Amino acid sequence: MKVKVEEPRPRVFVVAPEGDVDMSSSPEVRKAMAPLFRQGTAQVIVDLSAVPYMDSSGIATLIEGLQLSHKGSIRFTLAGMSPSVEAAFELAHLKDVFEVLPDAQRALEEGSIR
Amino acid sequence: MTSRNQISGPILMEIPSDPSALFLVRCLMESLSQRLCFPEEDVARMTLALDEACTNVIRHAYGERADQRIVLRFLALDDRLEVQVRDFGVSPDLNALAPRDLGEIRPGGLGLHFIRGAMDEVQYEIPEGGGCLLRLVKFRRMGDAG
Repeated sequence: MKVKVEEPRPRVFVVAPEGDVDMSSSPEVRKAMAPLFRQGTAQVIVDLSAVPYMDSSGIATLIEGLQLSHKGSIRFTLAGMSPSVEAAFELAHLKDVFEVLPDAQRALEEGSIR
Repeated sequence: MTSRNQISGPILMEIPSDPSALFLVRCLMESLSQRLCFPEEDVARMTLALDEACTNVIRHAYGERADQRIVLRFLALDDRLEVQVRDFGVSPDLNALAPRDLGEIRPGGLGLHFIRGAMDEVQYEIPEGGGCLLRLVKFRRMGDAG
């Protein structure tokens, strides 16, 4: 799996996995995302617009991110969820636990006016 | 001849206990349940449920060894789709198989919740010789197209 990491603004990172996030690929998402929760980071945005499918391994990875964000007082945002990924979050009663925005651009814009 | 909504015999699939093979299971489950005219929402949930069942086998029965056997048997009947998942690893403690409380926000433990939420029947059995046989059933509802 390809996971792109960009810093479009200082201290704001966008992590963008491409493809299904399941037991085989979630370790790669974790590997790309976890080091970003370091001192000085203001926000981590996970752009899910190129993720057609996610299972509980992927969701667990994002919960780990959420926990790291709480520890570091870092804003953590999920963006661009497909309907099937959104349905999995709803099944897990997790949609309201995360900050979820329609797309990464919106997440960046909202971050800049905070 | 059978109707479009049933297939005259079981469809068998065997994969290694390698997470990289899970997409094949998802492809078959998705195609079959679409063909059987389950609603799209059910197709997505059933596909997720079977993925989670296989993930649990890889993780718990086989301790993440990638070279073991998982045998899947799909039975498309007029009133239901039944999928059996057979492994030959460490048998689960049947009394300990319960979904966790969703009120806890923590990684892990969601798979059983997804399986039970998607399927109408979920039965675990320890066959002679060990391992586990999981039987998942989804009934077609009156009014499902096809």
